[in-house]
Amino acid sequence: MAGSDTPNDWLTWAFSPTISAILVTLVVSLCLPVLIHYYLYRKASAKVLPTVLLIGPSGAGKTTLLTLFANGTPSATHTSQEPQTALCQLPSTTSSHEDRYRSEHDTSSRSQPKFLLVDTPGHGKLRHHALSSLTSPTALKGLVFVVDSAAVSSAAGLTETAEYLHDVLLLLQKRHTQSKTSRDPQAIPVLIAANKQDVFTSLPASLVKSKLEQEIAKARQTRSKGLLDSGIGMEDDGGDDEESNWLGQYGAKEFKFAQMEEHGVEVKVIGGNVRGEGEEKGRVEEWWAWIGENL
Amino acid sequence: MLDAFEILTTSGIVLWRRSYAPVPSSVVNSLVGDVFIEDRRPKDAQGQQQTSYKKDKYTLKWTSAKDLGVVFVAVYQSLLHLSWVDNLLTAVKALFTKDYGIELKKAHVTKLNTQPFDATFDALVRKLDTGSTRRQSEADSEGPIELTPPSSAASASEEAVDEPPPPPIPAPQFKKPAVSRKEQFEGTSTDATPVPTPDTSRPSTPASHILTAKSGPGKASRRSRKAQHTLTSAPASSGDESSAGRNKKTATKAKRRWDADGFAVEGEDEVLDYSAAADSQQEQGEREVDVEDVNASQMGSRTGKGQFVLKDLDDEVDAILASSKQQVKPDSTEGDAGLLGSATSRLTGLFRNVVGGKTLTKQDLIQPLQQMQNHLLEKNVAREAAARLCASVEADLLNQRTANFTSIDSTIRESMSKALTRILTPTSSLDLLRDVTTTISPPNPRPYVISIVGVNGVGKSTNLSKIAYFLLQNQFRVLVVAGDTFRSGAVEQLRVHVRNLSELSRREDVGKIELFEKGYGKDAATVARDAVTYATNTAGTEGNGMLFDVVLIDTAGRRHNDTRLMSSLTKFGQLANPDKIFMVGEALVGTDSVAQARNFAKEFVDTKGKLRNNGVGMDGFIISKCDTVGDMVGTLVSMVHATGIPVVFLGVGQHYGDLRGLNVGWAVDKLMK
Repeated sequence: MAGSDTPNDWLTWAFSPTISAILVTLVVSLCLPVLIHYYLYRKASAKVLPTVLLIGPSGAGKTTLLTLFANGTPSATHTSQEPQTALCQLPSTTSSHEDRYRSEHDTSSRSQPKFLLVDTPGHGKLRHHALSSLTSPTALKGLVFVVDSAAVSSAAGLTETAEYLHDVLLLLQKRHTQSKTSRDPQAIPVLIAANKQDVFTSLPASLVKSKLEQEIAKARQTRSKGLLDSGIGMEDDGGDDEESNWLGQYGAKEFKFAQMEEHGVEVKVIGGNVRGEGEEKGRVEEWWAWIGENL
Repeated sequence: MLDAFEILTTSGIVLWRRSYAPVPSSVVNSLVGDVFIEDRRPKDAQGQQQTSYKKDKYTLKWTSAKDLGVVFVAVYQSLLHLSWVDNLLTAVKALFTKDYGIELKKAHVTKLNTQPFDATFDALVRKLDTGSTRRQSEADSEGPIELTPPSSAASASEEAVDEPPPPPIPAPQFKKPAVSRKEQFEGTSTDATPVPTPDTSRPSTPASHILTAKSGPGKASRRSRKAQHTLTSAPASSGDESSAGRNKKTATKAKRRWDADGFAVEGEDEVLDYSAAADSQQEQGEREVDVEDVNASQMGSRTGKGQFVLKDLDDEVDAILASSKQQVKPDSTEGDAGLLGSATSRLTGLFRNVVGGKTLTKQDLIQPLQQMQNHLLEKNVAREAAARLCASVEADLLNQRTANFTSIDSTIRESMSKALTRILTPTSSLDLLRDVTTTISPPNPRPYVISIVGVNGVGKSTNLSKIAYFLLQNQFRVLVVAGDTFRSGAVEQLRVHVRNLSELSRREDVGKIELFEKGYGKDAATVARDAVTYATNTAGTEGNGMLFDVVLIDTAGRRHNDTRLMSSLTKFGQLANPDKIFMVGEALVGTDSVAQARNFAKEFVDTKGKLRNNGVGMDGFIISKCDTVGDMVGTLVSMVHATGIPVVFLGVGQHYGDLRGLNVGWAVDKLMK
């Protein structure tokens, strides 16, 4: 009887109108949902961080830019063989997109947003990493196309850069025009970062923009007239017609980056340099500002 | 002596670097590009793959830690022959992995604090450096030994201890001064007094039999006398310098004394230079300090971290080097644990295979890789190429874990698709129209020259007419050159093609085509050169200045193992100087494709002896008759694997329009089906 007495006693006490029982009930009824909430939402609270992709021809300075943004100072780098991801945080001097509704005098403390920066190899054989990251559905918020401003002053470097940029923009355009859902996929803005502005032979950002536009116009012309691919019977979506493979405005003689806006791709060209000459630091504030706006 | 040592990740970030001499960054970049990405390892005369890479005047050796994604690269001058670099690489890899392996495995690592590694590296170099067997020129020897001082993170006592060791480090490299003396003697005939150099050399020259062969008339006797004297001196490779700081023998070079007969006075160490006394004293001091070092480390008194590193390092490094030399016996079949035990292990093995999460060992991979290799062989891939692909997949997958719910087979298939994609993707894709337009446009226009080569009967003339048709559709003016002056009917065949194409182009009102021929029996190279001159001719043309935009040169088919015929190709390449040389290979050919590709590629050297197009020889392959083979397009892979030259066109029929570009996804799909 002693065994059945104690649970009996407990239950009697629990249902009795004593102060201690009321207090215990209050505590349990308030704490239990809170504990359950924390247990259930500890996994869901891991947010998906926004991603920014670094793309560009070999030798443009993507890996150096990655180390600068991640660590504050650029490291020595060589040709990349694999993509690399780094967690970066906007510097305190840059204002982010979330601040646009804040007043200037708002002094409440806020932490700068973090994002993932993905660096891809630029070598011709390894570009599939970059192109597959573009088509896979991640939280891609922006694309930084790094260009060596000194290399575009030579014909060979300009051609290589322009062809890669053409492929990337065409992929973004197709992503937009051939999306299978009625809701547009989220548009990805593109920043063309004209790097190495400190080098003597580099071109200023506006000249880089116009040269790239001319070269892309030539590239899309020859692509449209080139040979058919051996894989033409392969694709199951009706096949590509000429219009879908033409970047920008169909039939236009010249190519301007503004033509990409109808597909939701906003392109901006900003100059800067990752490494300064000698002891100088690089000028990347405008790039930070662009990332901040588009996060 | 080493010029530089770098530790970098596969994503390109340099984790640690030590440079003794300024090495341009392009050297390591080209190592990564050529060896790791394009897999273009040069073979030496015996056909063995080398483990070192040469660029400019540097030799690079490397090793990699695949699980961490880290590559270790050592750079030194090609003139030297450093045999201890391999040991150094192994030891550095083991120590670095031990120190920083855990940090590297964390996600998103872009920077490591590798300052403490400086001391470890210095100690390793001291321990392993056994000098070089050939000395480089004197200018180099004085300059670049700028040893970075030990890191500031080291304690003060470590600083004191490290001070004496740096001076001995220059010493080991000066062990082999024989060559310097030889160089001096070769250069000047009368000046026999060696220039006093800070690097000390032994007064006698070992291994001077080389010298006697090249000496001038008056010196033979002295040299031969020397040779007799020196046979008893220390041997060329001094194994006794392996331990740090001992046996420096930094004796100063004795000045040559001449007696009245014009012969050098030998065997006397009498020197007029009083600085020798200071040197020997310093040397004495060093020796004493070294003895102190040994005692101190054994006793472990007043030592900082550096000392402990040194002491532990010796044992550790010995163990590492010993284990790397041992043959690791592969685990033979599992010990029989009875019937039940083996049955359950097999069941769990099967289960693991299906569910995934299995760590792949060599044993697991043998059977599936063999099946994959057979599959590739069935697709007409050459045996050599299939074996190399399977070896690279095995190297990739060894000791990796399979993903969830993927079996070993599917993991291998995925890895093989990636390897095939990488081989078939060109480094820079060819845009023929672009190149032609750039060459013929105003600042110095000239005709664009394309030539087609290949063995007999692969479809050179047919594919040449297909290319001509494509260019005509794009409004170019094409000149077809009958460079096949050997085969009966070759010129007539081209004449028929040109007639058809000009009729087609007249109907559609595009372009212009013409045939240039000089009959039979002439030298193909001169015909080609004349044709290019004719096309550039500006007399009597409307506006542009050139008669033709593109020159297509056909050549005679030739067996790739007939050296006489192949050598005439070299002359052809140099005289005609084409912008693009395409080799046609048929998709039906079997394992001969590898030999064909290699033999043709190595013929196209320019006048300086360097292979054109960045050292590969040709500019592209045209694989013809692809419609006849169906799925078995393995020739693509064999030819690209043999030479590294990309495939630019595919011939898919016998009409003028049956020419396609290569779509890598399509090709890999067909191969893996």
